[in-house]
Amino acid sequence: MGAGSKPNQWLTVALLTPTSIWFLFLLILPLIVILVFSFGERAAVGGYAGGFTFEQYGNLPSRLKAFQNTMLIAPLGTLLSLIVAYPLAYYLALRVSRRFKLLLLVLVIVPFWTSLLVRTYAWIFILGGRGIPTLLEFIGIEGVRLINTPGAVLVGIVYGYLPLMVFPIFVSLEKLDKSLLEASSDLGGSPFKTFMQITLPLSMPGIATGCMLVFILLMGEFLIPAFLGGGKVFFIGNALVDLFLQSRNWPFGAAVSVTLVVIMLITVSLYMRMMMRSKTGRDESLM
Amino acid sequence: MRIYAIAVFLFLYVPIGIIVLFSFNAGRHASELRGLSVQWYGKALSNPFVGDAFVTSLIVAFSVAILSSLMGTAAALALQRLKGTMRVLFDGLIYISVMIPGIVIGIATLVALVTVFDFLNPLLASIWPEGTKPPKLHMGYVSVIAAHTLFTMSLVIILVRARIAGMDRSLIEASMDLYATPWRTFYQVTLPQIYPAILAGFLLSFTFSFDDFIISFFVAGANTTLPIYIFSSIRRGITPEVNAIGTMVLAVSLILLMTAQFFLRARTNR
Amino acid sequence: MSKTNDDNKPISAKKFMKYFRSYQKGSISRRHFLGVTGLGTAMTIMGTAIPSLWSGKAHAFPDLGDRLVFSTWPNYWNQVNLDEFSELTGVHIQVNAFGSNEEMLAKLQAGGTGWDVFVPTNYTISNYVALDLIEELDLSRIPNYDAAANNPKFAGPATVNGKVYCVPKNWGTTGFIVNTKKIKSKPKSWKDFFDVTMGKGSGHTIVHDYQLTTIGAALCALGYSFNSIDAKELAEAEALLIKSKPHLFAITSDYQPGMRSGDAWMSICWNGDGTQLNNDLPEMEYVIATDGGEIWSDFYAIPKGAPHLDAAYAFINYMQDPYIQARDAVVHGYAPTDARAIALQPDSLGNDPILHPAAELMNGLEFGAAQTLTDPIRAEVIARFKSA
Repeated sequence: MGAGSKPNQWLTVALLTPTSIWFLFLLILPLIVILVFSFGERAAVGGYAGGFTFEQYGNLPSRLKAFQNTMLIAPLGTLLSLIVAYPLAYYLALRVSRRFKLLLLVLVIVPFWTSLLVRTYAWIFILGGRGIPTLLEFIGIEGVRLINTPGAVLVGIVYGYLPLMVFPIFVSLEKLDKSLLEASSDLGGSPFKTFMQITLPLSMPGIATGCMLVFILLMGEFLIPAFLGGGKVFFIGNALVDLFLQSRNWPFGAAVSVTLVVIMLITVSLYMRMMMRSKTGRDESLM
Repeated sequence: MRIYAIAVFLFLYVPIGIIVLFSFNAGRHASELRGLSVQWYGKALSNPFVGDAFVTSLIVAFSVAILSSLMGTAAALALQRLKGTMRVLFDGLIYISVMIPGIVIGIATLVALVTVFDFLNPLLASIWPEGTKPPKLHMGYVSVIAAHTLFTMSLVIILVRARIAGMDRSLIEASMDLYATPWRTFYQVTLPQIYPAILAGFLLSFTFSFDDFIISFFVAGANTTLPIYIFSSIRRGITPEVNAIGTMVLAVSLILLMTAQFFLRARTNR
Repeated sequence: MSKTNDDNKPISAKKFMKYFRSYQKGSISRRHFLGVTGLGTAMTIMGTAIPSLWSGKAHAFPDLGDRLVFSTWPNYWNQVNLDEFSELTGVHIQVNAFGSNEEMLAKLQAGGTGWDVFVPTNYTISNYVALDLIEELDLSRIPNYDAAANNPKFAGPATVNGKVYCVPKNWGTTGFIVNTKKIKSKPKSWKDFFDVTMGKGSGHTIVHDYQLTTIGAALCALGYSFNSIDAKELAEAEALLIKSKPHLFAITSDYQPGMRSGDAWMSICWNGDGTQLNNDLPEMEYVIATDGGEIWSDFYAIPKGAPHLDAAYAFINYMQDPYIQARDAVVHGYAPTDARAIALQPDSLGNDPILHPAAELMNGLEFGAAQTLTDPIRAEVIARFKSA
């Protein structure tokens, strides 16, 4: 220990060492490798061959549709989940007696514990030819196709990530000071006005957190479009799996990954800046 | 409002009901219900690969949860003393690791590890003493646990840090004023306050790891986790065995939940 | 037909069980039992027979371990055979079903798969050998395999540079399946296939999610070779595929669920899956296209670094038994390459037109070519089509 250095500093270093090792070997190193690979060429039999070329990035427009699908369906899915989740969270937080609150909240979370795979696969039956379309035939509506459409993927998304959205909103509404609501209605505020001016702004941190969580997961989604999109609703995640597991084009896969990461960084930091500017979403609201 | 809530709960539970119902299907094709039977539970339970996958998932998820809560808490405590460039650097890394989609983590880790192994394995073989078999590095437990922990560790850091920020600092100062050792202050004052955040982080990490498919799919090597097993069962042609496994996982988590609830209640009633 | 049992001749499962029971009852010696069942050879070579493990255990071959990972294609095995193998040896089998040879290759290239036995298709084997991903087989450990009984047209690709890397499993054709209740126009060729897809059957067609058959079908529809790697021809095929994409129901190699549920009316299809569908739903008709298509053979192979090598050999040997082969084919509907197994098949299967198509129908069919697997243009064309 050098003269004059405080033992405290050594403690800080010691506490941060494992985390630093992790960041170095599992975040920085892989990202550098991916970045290097993205300038390489596809080896003759597949895989990676060294080189320095912008060819892979030049080829990105051929995956435009996958990027478009993701950039369109991910925000839309996030929004839909919010629309479905908010009233439920509101109901649970403000309208249910304490006795049932915990029970109902647990009921929202329980589905989350069955594997996402199994839950998504249940929808293959429900939306497939023997499911809802057969029911519709009974009442005379024929030829409806639900599975392998963007709609099916959206349903899967809302179903899969609803608990992630309900929970943070519930927490922020739960913390809300009920006397504020009473004061507002005492002062003659209509329920709508009370909601718009008090409840909604105060639940913004929860909304921000929920949307962020769901959006991040959706940008890299693979399973839901794979199962409910039947290869017709392709996300970047699906294009990536395809590049590594079918065409074995590692450099191009690397270039697509790098692009996805850059898009994520830009979108998320813009979003966070927006939230901070509106002063309602604070740093720790992320979780 | 209540009707809406009921509708959402129906939306949440009808698919689960279908999974459970079809797990008792007597037929071989999962799409048609042909009488009821528990044969698929027998099949799933007597299939050693289901057991293997379950144990692998448990080992991975527990290791991930333990590593993440230890390292994440340590880092969160240290970070509040850190200022300047280092602080900004760490904050950046934490957010990047939370933000990067799992699929990119999986692919990047796979590509990096394959490259490193391709470089190290011949090297190991060349320096290894004659006549003994040199070790061969490959994907397995270590790579899945490490890759999962990257995300969950950052999650724990964020959770614990939020808790530290909301903590009552006067208690710590009081403790210091009373000449308590730093360790004692930590153990008796800080830890009890941040404990709920660590616990939440542990549970979240466990759940994330246990349910993760995409990262494991790329870096698990020959180790089959439960989601990987389920994925390949679905591809193998859907039989009600998948439903039986899903139902059992649900039942186990419900039982755990109720036990926890029971103990919590027993404690508060005392 | 099965032959008499001298030491090196194969033995049927029924006879095997008879011998096994006699061995358990003690009426024949262990050495004799191992000899006639062909499993002794493996043990002799290993030289690790542990006497204590033999005393009074239910499983006859404990030193094979208790796990085997078997990677194959969907709907391509008889569970009864696998269960019987587990019962006889104590080795439990995990079946992984894959969608394409590309996927298998990608997994093997990344390393550490944990597979013991896998099922490559004819055109991939020389690639696996070149990449050093596949074990050379020790045929003395697969006494049930009879090279002379196998049609060299199908078994040929197993031998690369004079070394044998795998043994044949089944052969078949790739055509398409039509739900004749929904599509009444009787499509005969790949050209018809795409016309119907973009016409009356819009929204109800499935194509495979890997390059060989999907690109091959489009090439045939345009009048080119199934195996073409010509950039201009591939560009035309890509244009046709992308034009048809909005009219597809799905892009997947697991097409049976879609066909069975009635969502899909037509799909690129392997003949055995055609038989399986036709058996359950008579309106399903398998068609060998008049303008070309694929003829193929599949093999049992062992990847480099297989963790349960002894179990892998025992399993391949078991699956090569003519009786077991025939019993496999009854379920999955693919023809064995082994004359001994064909002879054991019931007449109904021996004359089945899907299983054994008339020679003139097969004239236009091509074996997949090795270069299609690694051709960068074909890889990129299918990937672009999927993400289009």
